[in-house]
Amino acid sequence: MSHVEVKLRVNGRVVVRSVPPRRSLADFVREELGLTGTHVGCEHGVCGACTLLVDGRTARSCLLLAVQLDGAEVTTVEGLTPADGLSVLQEAFRDSHALQCGFCTPGMLAAAHELLAENAAPTRDEIREAIAGNLCMCTGYVNIVRAIELAAQRLRAA
Amino acid sequence: MSWVGRPLPRKEDGRLLSGRGRYLDDLVRPGQLHAAMLRSPHAHARIVALDASAAATVPGVHAVLTGADAKTASRPIRPLIPTAVPLDDWCLAVDRVRYAGEPVAAVAAIDRATAEDALERIHVEYEPLPAVVDPEAALRSDSVLLYPQLGTNVLWHDVLAYGDVAGAFARADGVLRERFEIQRYASTPLETFGAIAEHDAGLDAYTFWTNDQRPGLTLTILAESLDVPQSRLRLLTPDIGGAFGNKRRPAYLLVCALLARRAGRPVKYVEDRLENLAALMHACNGVMDVELAYRADGTVLALRVRDVADEGKNLVSPAQHNLIKLGNIVNGYRIGAVSYEAFSVLTTKCPSGANRGIGKPFMCFAIERAMALLARRLRLDPAELRLRNYVGAAEMPYTTPPGARYDSGDYAATLGRALERFDYRGWRERQARARADGRLLGIGIATSVEPAGTNLASYELITGRRAASGSAEAAMVRVEPDGRVRAALGDPACGQGYETVVAQIVADELGLTPGDVHVDRGFDSSTTPWLYLSGNYSNKFSVTDVGAVLGAARAVRDKLARIAAHRLESAVDDIELADGQARVRGVPARGLAIGELARTAYADVLGLPPGEPPGLEARHAHQNPLAQPVGADRTVRSQLVFSNAAHCCLVEIDPRTGAVRLLRHVVVHDCGRELNPLIVEGMVHGSTVHGLGAALLEEFRYDASGQLLTGTFMDYLKPTALDVPDIEVDRLEHPSPFTPLGAKGVGEGGSIPAPAAVASAVEDALAHLDVTVRALPITPERVWRWLHG
Amino acid sequence: MRGRDDSAAGVESGPVKPAPFDYVRARTLDDALAALDADSKILAGGQSLVPLLNMRLVRPTRVVDINAVPGLAGVRARPDGVLEIGALTRHTDLLASTLVRERLPLVAAATAHVGHRAIRNRGTIGGSLAHADPAAELPAALLALEAGVVISARGGERRVALDDFFVGALTTLLGAGEILRRVEIPDPRDAAWGFAEIARRPGDFAIAGVAVALHGARGQSARARLVAFGVGDRPVRLRAAEAALSRTAPTRELAARAAAQAAADCRPVDDVHASAEYRAHLVEVLTERAVADAIGRLLA
Repeated sequence: MSHVEVKLRVNGRVVVRSVPPRRSLADFVREELGLTGTHVGCEHGVCGACTLLVDGRTARSCLLLAVQLDGAEVTTVEGLTPADGLSVLQEAFRDSHALQCGFCTPGMLAAAHELLAENAAPTRDEIREAIAGNLCMCTGYVNIVRAIELAAQRLRAA
Repeated sequence: MSWVGRPLPRKEDGRLLSGRGRYLDDLVRPGQLHAAMLRSPHAHARIVALDASAAATVPGVHAVLTGADAKTASRPIRPLIPTAVPLDDWCLAVDRVRYAGEPVAAVAAIDRATAEDALERIHVEYEPLPAVVDPEAALRSDSVLLYPQLGTNVLWHDVLAYGDVAGAFARADGVLRERFEIQRYASTPLETFGAIAEHDAGLDAYTFWTNDQRPGLTLTILAESLDVPQSRLRLLTPDIGGAFGNKRRPAYLLVCALLARRAGRPVKYVEDRLENLAALMHACNGVMDVELAYRADGTVLALRVRDVADEGKNLVSPAQHNLIKLGNIVNGYRIGAVSYEAFSVLTTKCPSGANRGIGKPFMCFAIERAMALLARRLRLDPAELRLRNYVGAAEMPYTTPPGARYDSGDYAATLGRALERFDYRGWRERQARARADGRLLGIGIATSVEPAGTNLASYELITGRRAASGSAEAAMVRVEPDGRVRAALGDPACGQGYETVVAQIVADELGLTPGDVHVDRGFDSSTTPWLYLSGNYSNKFSVTDVGAVLGAARAVRDKLARIAAHRLESAVDDIELADGQARVRGVPARGLAIGELARTAYADVLGLPPGEPPGLEARHAHQNPLAQPVGADRTVRSQLVFSNAAHCCLVEIDPRTGAVRLLRHVVVHDCGRELNPLIVEGMVHGSTVHGLGAALLEEFRYDASGQLLTGTFMDYLKPTALDVPDIEVDRLEHPSPFTPLGAKGVGEGGSIPAPAAVASAVEDALAHLDVTVRALPITPERVWRWLHG
Repeated sequence: MRGRDDSAAGVESGPVKPAPFDYVRARTLDDALAALDADSKILAGGQSLVPLLNMRLVRPTRVVDINAVPGLAGVRARPDGVLEIGALTRHTDLLASTLVRERLPLVAAATAHVGHRAIRNRGTIGGSLAHADPAAELPAALLALEAGVVISARGGERRVALDDFFVGALTTLLGAGEILRRVEIPDPRDAAWGFAEIARRPGDFAIAGVAVALHGARGQSARARLVAFGVGDRPVRLRAAEAALSRTAPTRELAARAAAQAAADCRPVDDVHASAEYRAHLVEVLTERAVADAIGRLLA
């Protein structure tokens, strides 16, 4: 099992690493890059906790091998966070109390980010559809839906 | 105006939203190894031989531990109640496995993948034994036994009677008899359970980082099993990714500790999801036979219950599911006589344990189902039948026959508000019109008490002696030398926002803002004040934790006042704390900043009042006075204060496929004074969805050989955002007279009644077919079978 | 990962990190073909393969990543009306394709039921066909559209009709050294469509589902293809129901007649989510609904 070199951009920074082929992208960003904002919840692609953005689209990082990402642009929750403070979406999550334990939150933010990039005025049904691949055990989703709705409003007003 | 009661956004959220939270798996100790566990493929088998020697030779492996090693290197884990014959329960299976997924060996290696490689090199020879999966079968005298030396699978059997049960049944106009079942399910926090253990060979001391939600009890077990004084153990909790009762398994901490000692390096073990689903903790499945003796007007005179709790292989906390529902088995109803027969029985399944609402969802399902069926039998509106039987607001505090004291609330008003919010009458009309169009709409009601605070004295009913009792928690408040405030609590937060709520409480006492008060994240046994009873369980924050925080904050407040009075040459009683200052009431100009008083307390100690010791810190432990020993008449306060909730839900059934769609779900709850309404409402949403999952989707299903059939998130179905509606929440606020701020438990008033409400709604949609919902989850196939006879 | 994989039940030891394997990042189709042998696996979207790797339920010695092979993705219409969809075309791109939306609405409807967004962003049409889960939507929809696949091997190419491609649960005609290159769908211009499924939750594999392609015009006799999924070891042609719809002018009443024949061709089995009996019933209901939709579109 020889290591394979990959070169990719993570949160805008070029990263070159030699990795064993069996290492998942989730383990790669967490363990090799120290980006522990990406959480691992099931490792079989159902819970959505490890969702991040690959070339602007959401992906389960437990279902990607790090070696596949050669040449890709990966954005984690750390990359979605402004240098100072929080993004409009993150602030809407806080104001709406859209998180409790916070473990699903980075994946939810990735899903919401993708939705809002494509749809500036999503309906509640569209929001629910967009986050249906991300399990949350704490909030019953109610406040997450409200937060994304609020973020969309604020982004439109801005 | 006080900070308590305001819907403040949380202090925790900034770090959690930006990926800067620190959860267990984010922690890295120098030289840390990763553990993996080999688990039994059999539900029940004798371990004939186990050879792990090849695993130790895999490059990257640093330590291997088998059950035989654990038996040599540690002591058995002490159960909460002793069994008739002592049953040795080590951290890894020895000689015999008793559920599919029970760990038999563990490996620590440079990474998890290598540890899993090494597991494949461990050879175990099993002699399969028959499984016992059905609790009723496990009760029988000819059953396969998990522990032959015990002679039975039954850990507790008793009949407890309160009041004239036989007389009430004799006097009754009718008796309703039904059998209900509840499936195994769990809250499955999104973060799995785990721990890191580090051994200091020089001191023979251990440090644990873990997301264990009950560190007080766990520390006691660790010290006993590792045979070291508690003074040489340290346990810390980081941010915890949800818990709901599930996050506890002292055995895994012991495995890490023993591996760490062998390897001479820190060892981390984090469950994977398959291990979590198969082996951590399920709520007991069970069977309940309910008999209601009633008068023709619907008044319920007496209740007789036979309650079988299927513990799986749970030796740690047996009978918990029975004891915890005993006091409140009458739910919110004034039922004068109660007979409760308890069975707590072992089966060859995953250990059971605490799960959001523990035991009460089944209590509520059975009692509310019975009330719905009684209403149908008597041709009464289900709401009306409940109103005729509720404990009245004027009767508070009301003591149930088994001894629980319902402290405050107006159950009729809670239901009334729910019906109003739901537009119950309007929907009854719309339902009738839809029915005429061939659409099957159903309306379901369920109401429940929601207890908080556990009193372990209830175990005396089983053992005849008291080992642990009461409900208590400890806290610390400290004004640091720079005048900033720090607080700590023996109860590690698992998503409930304690850093915010504790700051609100302390800010009110010290005349500060919540922003001035830092609350320690999690628990650290070397700095956090704690008790054996410390932990995040049983809805207990409002019952004990608030008192501990208030006590500590008030002690610091009093000391600030004494120092200020001395410095300002004023009477202590004239000092008030406000706006970051201690000042003389009515003379705002005469004041000293908290920081200045802190400087006095820590640095300029000659400026202190005579006899006043330096420092500005207080620790306080609060014991809720409601906890009492078991009464001579076997009455018991297994739980202490009681919130209540009413759910009203609307479903539509596809008449051809049986698919159930949740259209609306209204919750009105009363948890006394709401300390932070934003957090309270969020917990009600989430808790309700736990109940909706149990109602329609979730089930740990076993086959007859004890194999779990739903062991992945593909088959164990959690509700997604598309499976549940926006939960509509409203509230009443009847403060408890028995808690320091009048607050009560919150977080279970959703999960307890929701399954019963959905069951009633489905039954209502199928009213023309005279269907009775006796079990969960209500799958489309079950509904289809009702629809098609 | 979504839906059912019976082999995953009863995994007590719960490995979550794959057994070791070598990795080949193919840059051309020839590279990929050269790297394949009996113990290797092709990695396309990975949404079914990687969970199986993680649980060590498949243990290839080599994983051949074809994502960097050019020319394997995209949708195009040939001059003869045949639509070609490259095997690496991702579900999200299918849904975004104007050609798919306008010419292949049945494929769009089926794709919308596949998993959730993050899964659709990675999962590919070729992977869905090659994985051949009997409860998957796309194999059924494409079979209803009389599609075929073009398969490359070291020796050249072959074209296989989907009617022959699926040979059992998770099993196809694809050989060890072969790569599914593209899907070809005959000009579907005159096809009216219907699609219906029941799943425990949106995004899960179906308990049962039906895809319908109905060719014809008002007042003329029609030709129908009905394919059920979740009710056999592969997508199942409902031939008896097709016969009930064929050689007669479509009317709304025909839906019930077709439905009555639907279960005849199904071989459902019991699993943890539904019994065979219930699945057989669902096929009838879903056939009626999907056929009614198709007839409605045809008559519209």
